[in-house]
Amino acid sequence: MSLTHLNSRGEAHMVDVGDKTETRREATAGGRIHMRSETLALLAEGGLPKGDVLATARIAGIQAAKKTHELIPLCHALALSKVEIGFELDEANACVEVKATCRLTGRTGVEMEALTAVSVACLTLYDMCKAVDKDMRIDSVRLLSKTGGKSGDYRRNETADDPRATAPSSLAAPSRDAATNRDMPMITGESPDGHISIAPRNEQPCIQVKFLAELRERLGISDIDIPLESLPSPTVAGLKQALQSHDTRFSLLGERRVLCAVNQVMSADDMSLTDGDEVAFFPPVTGG
Amino acid sequence: MISVQTAPFDVGTEQQVLTRKRTDIGAVVSFTGLVRDFNERPDVQALTLEHYPGMTEQALQDIVAEAEARWALQGIRLIHRVGRLEPGDPIVMVAVASAHRRHAFEACDFIMDYLKTRAPFWKKEHTVSGHYWVAERNTDIEDAKRWEAT
Repeated sequence: MSLTHLNSRGEAHMVDVGDKTETRREATAGGRIHMRSETLALLAEGGLPKGDVLATARIAGIQAAKKTHELIPLCHALALSKVEIGFELDEANACVEVKATCRLTGRTGVEMEALTAVSVACLTLYDMCKAVDKDMRIDSVRLLSKTGGKSGDYRRNETADDPRATAPSSLAAPSRDAATNRDMPMITGESPDGHISIAPRNEQPCIQVKFLAELRERLGISDIDIPLESLPSPTVAGLKQALQSHDTRFSLLGERRVLCAVNQVMSADDMSLTDGDEVAFFPPVTGG
Repeated sequence: MISVQTAPFDVGTEQQVLTRKRTDIGAVVSFTGLVRDFNERPDVQALTLEHYPGMTEQALQDIVAEAEARWALQGIRLIHRVGRLEPGDPIVMVAVASAHRRHAFEACDFIMDYLKTRAPFWKKEHTVSGHYWVAERNTDIEDAKRWEAT
């Protein structure tokens, strides 16, 4: 027996409940986020402060496809039978190619769902990586193909408008690049050691925790969201305990010199915390 | 007025702004802090100043408000730079205007002592022999204590 919300690689995806009639609609959209090659390398090895980047972006894309009708005024609410989000890490061009495929059996097309999924997956990649790279650029959000429906099938002629296809370097070895992309590891499921995946935003009451200056560098992490319910008590002391049970490195927070601010006001261990509070830990100040 | 900025500043210009169209100011005391080329280690090539946006500005505001409550002041200008700075660069400026010099001298001294111990800024120094975060100094803490319980 297998879990139907996980595919063979353990990645989360929506289950295909369609394929029952002839009126099947499918659309695939693509988009790209360009970043520095160092950022891409960090993303590939799971070294980014917010943790499991691709898994989070995949869930964000799936969620966005389901909410398209809330965002685009004249879109119908659709019962999508399948949403699939894929990532290709393109080292040669220092970008991540995001693809989303949406499918349903019904009377309306799903290209807006696929485009929305790609856009939000790209935005999530930006959000997850922006701590180390603010120069990232999202572009080429486009419909790649659609099938079914009155207007007939459509397939984009990628060689005509893909800037990478006209670049001399990709002309030289396009097939090898494609092979490299497929060999890139997918990062899903458990985070690499020392990194903590964030919970999907707004799903549960959370405390936003920040680490500043030397403390951030010693911990190797700048931001994490900690579910309020994981705190043994709703105080700064409880938050420290919850962090330490996540990862022993957070025992650093027990040092006397580590200071704490709750919602940007200096606070002691007994300060109480509620949903949405911003808690920052930092070393003694050295300005002036 | 308080600014946290990456851009350099000019002390002369700032002082002119502070005293423009005023005839009630009898004294302006200003302090300017510069990046030194030696600190915990020699050969400091640059430093990077980090702050906590939001909290830093509020902390500076609180320090200025406390100075205004303690002394009779007619204007305060406080600028602190962040980002990468090199030896010789101005890093912080406090200018205090008052009717009489004593108030201006003391308030300026007070603001710098509190800024160094209470405002969220952190320095990382880049030297020939490596990078390190600057440690807090006991002398700064002792200096700030001078203003307590008085």
